[in-house]
Amino acid sequence: MYVQIVQQVKEALRLGLLDGGEQLPTVREVVADLAINPNTVAKAYRELEREGLVVARQGRGTFVSSSLPAASLEHHDDLRRQLEQWFRAAQRAGIDEESIRALVSSTLREALARRAA
Amino acid sequence: MTATLEASALGKRFRRAWALRNCTLTIPEHTVVGLTGPNGSGKSTLLGLAVGLLAPSEGSILVLGRDPRSDPSVFAEIGYVSQEAPLYRSFTVGEMLEFARSTNPRWDRSLAAELLGAGSTETRVAALSSGDRARLALTLALGKRPRLLLLDEPFARLDPLAGREFLQLLMDGVSETGSTVVVASRVVTDIERVCERIVLLADGHVRLEGAVEDLLADHRVLTGARRPLGTIHGVERIVRERHSGRQLTLLVKTDAPVLDPSWSVDEIGLEELLLAYMASEEVPAPRPPQLSRLRWHG
Amino acid sequence: MAWVTWRQHRPQLLAMAGLVLGVALAALVTDLPIRAAYHRQALASCLPPATRSGCDIIVSHFRGEFAGRVAVARWLMVLPGLAGLLVGAPLVAREFEHGTYRLAWTQSVSRRRWLLSKTSLLALVVVVGAAVLAGVATWWRVPLDAVGGRMSPGAFDIEGLVVPAYAFFALGVGVLAGLLLRRTIAAVSVALAAFVAVRLGVEKLLRPHFLPPLHRTVTGLTQGQLAPDWILNNSLVDAVGRQISTSREDLAILHAQQAGIDPQGYFLSLGWRRVITFQPPGRFWAFQGIEAAIFVVLGLLAVGLAVTLVRRTPA
Repeated sequence: MYVQIVQQVKEALRLGLLDGGEQLPTVREVVADLAINPNTVAKAYRELEREGLVVARQGRGTFVSSSLPAASLEHHDDLRRQLEQWFRAAQRAGIDEESIRALVSSTLREALARRAA
Repeated sequence: MTATLEASALGKRFRRAWALRNCTLTIPEHTVVGLTGPNGSGKSTLLGLAVGLLAPSEGSILVLGRDPRSDPSVFAEIGYVSQEAPLYRSFTVGEMLEFARSTNPRWDRSLAAELLGAGSTETRVAALSSGDRARLALTLALGKRPRLLLLDEPFARLDPLAGREFLQLLMDGVSETGSTVVVASRVVTDIERVCERIVLLADGHVRLEGAVEDLLADHRVLTGARRPLGTIHGVERIVRERHSGRQLTLLVKTDAPVLDPSWSVDEIGLEELLLAYMASEEVPAPRPPQLSRLRWHG
Repeated sequence: MAWVTWRQHRPQLLAMAGLVLGVALAALVTDLPIRAAYHRQALASCLPPATRSGCDIIVSHFRGEFAGRVAVARWLMVLPGLAGLLVGAPLVAREFEHGTYRLAWTQSVSRRRWLLSKTSLLALVVVVGAAVLAGVATWWRVPLDAVGGRMSPGAFDIEGLVVPAYAFFALGVGVLAGLLLRRTIAAVSVALAAFVAVRLGVEKLLRPHFLPPLHRTVTGLTQGQLAPDWILNNSLVDAVGRQISTSREDLAILHAQQAGIDPQGYFLSLGWRRVITFQPPGRFWAFQGIEAAIFVVLGLLAVGLAVTLVRRTPA
């Protein structure tokens, strides 16, 4: 379920419905509208933050990352396709979902750490 | 993480029949738990025991660390809406709020007004629709900012729209109060979208219990050619077996990925999983309470 | 809990207030002719120690004239008990019947405090209402009491401290019955039966003996009844003190008539005399106090039992 929220926000960003610096609906607003678990929404927002798409400001809400250029989002379709291919290869190799997640997270972490260094 | 509800070998007998037996359960904080099972499975009994309206025949139950029958102070922190959401029919909406305010020291008037939304406070309870009555009963329970909220079959008398509105109100309230919620519902699809944990009761026993995410991750449906079954690597236990013609379908609990190429491995939906456990005759032995994610390794 | 008690029992309390008002009004209206007759016939001059000729007839005429109204007034006896029962029985029973106990007993007020608060508040109102009724009855009976006294049950039961005490007891029994039986109608029935049994039991069996009764021997022509007394027994006894049965008395009268002598004189010669067992009017407040205390204690026991048991239901 939280995946759907993440995707919806990304879609909104891509279509330009949400601009940099704009505030996302509060957890409470989303929950009251969709009748879903607040923890699910919180999780989705955390995920978006981890991907660098949004920034959570203590006590003020969650805002779209102002440093996100709209253009770069176009490249995501390509990257998405590449990822899907990779996933299919991993499944064929018999790696289960948990291990795939772990693989992706650890690789990303290492990559980000290398970039920062 | 502390436990909001701890049942230990809890049992309740009415005359000769056991409505609940050998129930050992722990419910952690800040989570939404679905309590499900067919009619007569013991859901209402369990909730009744949790709020002290029933006395255990055996075993014990602690809510927020206290025995509800001997320590009434716990009710300042528990919200409870029983089946059919009883209210005083001759009271107006405003008077029901006043009732809640008078009988609970920690009553949040503004939260209650917020949750109630628009609508006259002069309407008599008897004149409200069943959806409005259910929402009022929920508001009365949420208004005291309870740490634990117990709801017994709130969707039973609601049409789908009223049910959705009720769920919206519930989640809105919970995101504000941070309450732990236990919702008993015969129909699991009513609560599926909001539950993080599930407790399945059947015939007064706990058949399945755990985080939804984990339960779905730990069960798989294996389809393959019919054959005599030995051990399959990765399968801890077969929950359900079905054969049609030359095909064999197994619902299994896994403890490792199933890589055997002779089986086609699929995930399973929550409702399907629960139905399988409801039908299964095997009653799992009571496990020691676990507060962490349910894991079945080694 | 005060607001909750008032709001939940509002219709009953308003009905009670209306009833008290209605009775007061009826009393006002019906008492005027009684007082008028009292003054017109100068009954004051017939009451001991004053007396004058023809008093017997005047007094008995007065009493006879209003006997009907007095009988009706006796029905006031029913009201405090009934009010107590009808307010007390639904207190818990109605919550069970409507399932609202599941709402009431899961709030921050403990069951015991809930029951005790409600019962105390209602008891206060019921007792005050009954006290007002007793006051009205006392006022209404002033001329009648002057003539006939107020020790006899018809007057004793509707004046003074016992009236609120009956009401309190009825409330307590009602609450207990409602808790145990969980159905209003059944609770009212059982509580009513218990109330009547205790009321009659105390009146018939205990009240005559609150203080040792006095005896008066009469040898004269008159029956010797002093109206303000509460007569417990009026019997003929022989010289040794044994009671003479009516058949023996009849036989003696027959004997005397056959002999052509006056029966009273005949009795005198036999050494027979009339002994009247009674309670004097001076003991009115003592008796009121004792009986009221009995009912208050019983009421407290009933309420205490209910408060103790409320935690254990439903099992």
